[in-house]
Amino acid sequence: MTDEVILQVKDLKTYFHVDEGIVKAVDGVSFNLRKGETLGIVGESGSGKSVTNLSIINMIPNPPGRIAGGEVLFHGADLLKMPVKDLRSIRGNKISMIFQDPMTSLNPFLRISTQMVETIVLHQGLDKKAAKAKAIEMLKLAGIPAPEKRIDQYPHQFSGGMRQRVMIAMGLSCNPEILIADEPTSALDVTIQAQILDLMKDLTARLGTAVILITHSLGVVAGMCDTLCVMYAGRVVERGATGEIFAEPKHPYTQGLIKSVPRLDQAQGDRLRSIRGQPPNVIDLPDCCPFYPRCDKAMDICKRKYPATTEYGNGRAVSCWLYTEAK
Amino acid sequence: MTKFIIRRVLSLIPTMFIIVTLSFFLIRFAPGGPFSSEKKLPEQVLQNILKKYHMDEPLGKQYLRYMGDILKGDLGPSYRYKDQTVTELIKQTMPNSILLGSIALGLAVFFGVGVGIISALKQNRWQDYMAMSLAVVGISVPLFVIGPILQLVFAMKLHLLPTSGWITGRAGILALIMPAFTLSFPYFAYIARLSRGSVLEVLRSDYIRTARAKGLKESVVVAKHVLKGAMLPVVSYLGPAFAGIITGSVVVETVFVVPGVGKIFVQSALNRDYTLIMGDIIVYSLILVAMNFVVDIVYGFLDPRIAYK
Amino acid sequence: MSPKKNQAVNEFNQQVKPVSLWADAWKRLRKNKMALFGLWVVGIYVTVSLAAPILPLYDFSSQELTHVNLPPSLKPAGQVALQRLQKRIAELEAAGGFREDLKSDLVSAKAEYERLTAEISTKPVHQRVYILGTDYLGRDMLARTIYGGRISIMIGLVGTITAVLIGIVIGSIAGYVGGRTDNFLMRFVDILYGLPYMLVVIILMSLVPEGTNSIVILFVAIAALSWLTIARVVRGQIMSLKNAEFVEAARSMGAGSGRIIFRHLLPNTLGVIIIFATLQLPSFIMNESFLSFLGLGVSAPSASWGTLVSEGVQGMELYPWRLLVPAIAMTLFLFAMNFLGDGLRDALDPQSKNRT
Ligand SMILES: Nc1ncnc2c1ncn2[C@@H]1O[C@H](COP(=O)(O)OP(=O)(O)O)[C@@H](O)[C@H]1O
Ligand code: SF4
Ligand SMILES: [Mg+2]
Repeated sequence: MTDEVILQVKDLKTYFHVDEGIVKAVDGVSFNLRKGETLGIVGESGSGKSVTNLSIINMIPNPPGRIAGGEVLFHGADLLKMPVKDLRSIRGNKISMIFQDPMTSLNPFLRISTQMVETIVLHQGLDKKAAKAKAIEMLKLAGIPAPEKRIDQYPHQFSGGMRQRVMIAMGLSCNPEILIADEPTSALDVTIQAQILDLMKDLTARLGTAVILITHSLGVVAGMCDTLCVMYAGRVVERGATGEIFAEPKHPYTQGLIKSVPRLDQAQGDRLRSIRGQPPNVIDLPDCCPFYPRCDKAMDICKRKYPATTEYGNGRAVSCWLYTEAK
Repeated sequence: MTKFIIRRVLSLIPTMFIIVTLSFFLIRFAPGGPFSSEKKLPEQVLQNILKKYHMDEPLGKQYLRYMGDILKGDLGPSYRYKDQTVTELIKQTMPNSILLGSIALGLAVFFGVGVGIISALKQNRWQDYMAMSLAVVGISVPLFVIGPILQLVFAMKLHLLPTSGWITGRAGILALIMPAFTLSFPYFAYIARLSRGSVLEVLRSDYIRTARAKGLKESVVVAKHVLKGAMLPVVSYLGPAFAGIITGSVVVETVFVVPGVGKIFVQSALNRDYTLIMGDIIVYSLILVAMNFVVDIVYGFLDPRIAYK
Repeated sequence: MSPKKNQAVNEFNQQVKPVSLWADAWKRLRKNKMALFGLWVVGIYVTVSLAAPILPLYDFSSQELTHVNLPPSLKPAGQVALQRLQKRIAELEAAGGFREDLKSDLVSAKAEYERLTAEISTKPVHQRVYILGTDYLGRDMLARTIYGGRISIMIGLVGTITAVLIGIVIGSIAGYVGGRTDNFLMRFVDILYGLPYMLVVIILMSLVPEGTNSIVILFVAIAALSWLTIARVVRGQIMSLKNAEFVEAARSMGAGSGRIIFRHLLPNTLGVIIIFATLQLPSFIMNESFLSFLGLGVSAPSASWGTLVSEGVQGMELYPWRLLVPAIAMTLFLFAMNFLGDGLRDALDPQSKNRT
């Protein structure tokens, strides 16, 4: 990991126009990603993690979605303003994605070889034969036994864990600078989750790939990520180095999340605490801290205005009224 | 694969056997025989006719005789078309119906799939609205309305096409145009709606998102990743569509005076020409069963998840 | 702004409008212009059909031989017929005094003209106005189309209701009982599905002794083979609801199977049943008119849209209104029903919006 920032997301806003109103799925998200860094984005389901990452490569379905504002600078160039043609040469090449459900993310009607080769041919300019050799090599790296044979099979002939390995091999086959993994293990068995995470960690470290790892589980993040963004209702409420956040969570939501992680060193009888209440529906939210109905420390102002972001340097920041006055 | 085909073919035998047996007895027990509507015949003449058609024998014997004849490809004499056997009648008319039906099905699939895909790709734009309104027209307007109206416009008023007749006649290939388009229209409409829906569904699927995230061009995404999966529902609809086309050809052949099976089928039903009705049933079921068989195989080719066991 | 007491409020103190499925569906339906158009048209057709006996219509079956094949017109029938005779006489005279065979035509046309002129003011029939023309027996096309529609719509309704009832019964049994019963019933449905069932109906119609009331047979024949889709749909719904919590709750409180099906499961499938019934009705009407067109359906003196179209096809070159009037009336209705059905489906089952 160096200090060179390769991706800057600035005040990103992505809205969905639905019958009931405007869903502000992502509302002013900012973060930086440095070369080789692993960044975790954590938050409950529906907090806007996936939308954030689809917005980065400008793949929000429109309609109903629309990127309403902000910038995504990749080596200084704004991906949101780039012509589609240029953007396509970045997708799958410089920035690639792995999705949550390996069972549905591969095309069931095409052989693995077809799906892997088309990407390599497209971005690396290899001929089909060389591309297939490259694909086999990637599958081997991803821990698939007998890749020469299995590459000609169809996705349904692979188990869930094996398919996610295929997705990882495919995602890394063009040696991307950034790999975005959207809950890569949530759909897998617990025993396989650790294997897949280890594989990702190992391969990306070897290839020097920066990773954005999306998850709803702090447990996953702890062992993997250098830095963290905690998202709630479309906003980043806290960010900073993983160690610092675990050691001293500032935002009441982060505190709640950390308290709800099961720990080995937990004393017997200490009950696991989960955050009470439900995450809000982000349709037509009023100007307020969206966490206040669930927050133990909520104050009057929390109901009237969204708190400004307090920066602590070193990428550490929090958005909560508890800290704005202190500053 | 070969095993699968053999097994499928063998499984057709009991199906056909049941169809033939059922229709034989259904028709024999039906009130009103083939000769009941003719003028009251003298007893002796009636006896002779019954004897000629072996209708004086016990039912069991008649059944066995009929089954034996069928195996020999002999569907018996027609009660109404004197001097012609059912086999002859069907042999004369079948090729015409098959030609008309296949052209109609081809048109329906070609235009239906094309329009459906365009509609889906231009969802909620004017192309989509136009196409889907046309599809509702196709589904709402009965064949026997479209047919005569086309005749009225293109033949009687504009004199572009022959009113009726068949390719063997003077008009030649032109005579095929109106009946084929008429027959294909409802199935075109249905296939257009079906493929639009299934393309939209596939477009929303995770694996299309993956394909786009890989940086593929939208045209490649559609041609390589969307179409195969989206065509599966269309392929499974081909069986019912063909059944529908067979039904529809009954009307279209009547309206456009096409010398096909559909036309003699209606006549046989109106005349209670029982041997001819039975022959039609047997032939129609054979075609349908064969069509479904072909559809199964095509489906298996398209969907790798289907294993022939 | 404090919300009223009885109004639901979310955690942000925003009012939450109570959404009932039906209110929500109605809202969506109202936004769909084609569906609304369909609803209006269907409403008008049904009203006219119901009110037909009290509407100022001419008798749909009375024949008036001097009024045969009159074109649509707003003028009294006597005048229209006279004009037509004048034109014919003029044509015959122009065609030449040489041709013997036309001479007798000319004579009879002239005689007819005299007769009509004489009685035009005395006989009230000649004051009739046939805005949609008359048919080959001098019957009013407007009345015939309306009464034909009555029969077609009635057959459609009764058939749909029958099919829906059979479908509900068989579908709920298959879905609720499951296991072998389900397997057997669905196999049966699959087999029937593959049949070109209109051909089966044609055969059934040909087996019926001549002279029986064919409308009844038609009902039975079509309904007996049209419940398949509904049965499949109801079965699917019931299977997916069978193990839902509210059903478990009812069962644990000792509710019997019948009660569970009728009080808990079926009401929840009502939406789909309505959608399919709406889409089934036009297909019923099409099938009935298909048979009538072939001469196997409704028989004289009753007439349905199908009979009218098939009568209109004869002579459509000279008298196109005889084909166009019933054809357009029928198509417009089927059109409206299909739009309404599509709209209802989008409204009641929004997820299905982009399917067929
Ligand atoms: N295509 C869409 N149409 C409407 N709303 C959407 C769409 N995609 C996402 N949303 C909304 O955006 C919000 C954030 O979703 P998402 O980013 O998928 O959450 P997650 O953090 O679980 O990945 C959710 O409230 C969701 O309802
Ligand atoms: S701003 Fe207020 S409500 Fe929001 S987290 Fe901080 S204290 Fe709680
Ligand atoms: Mg997500």
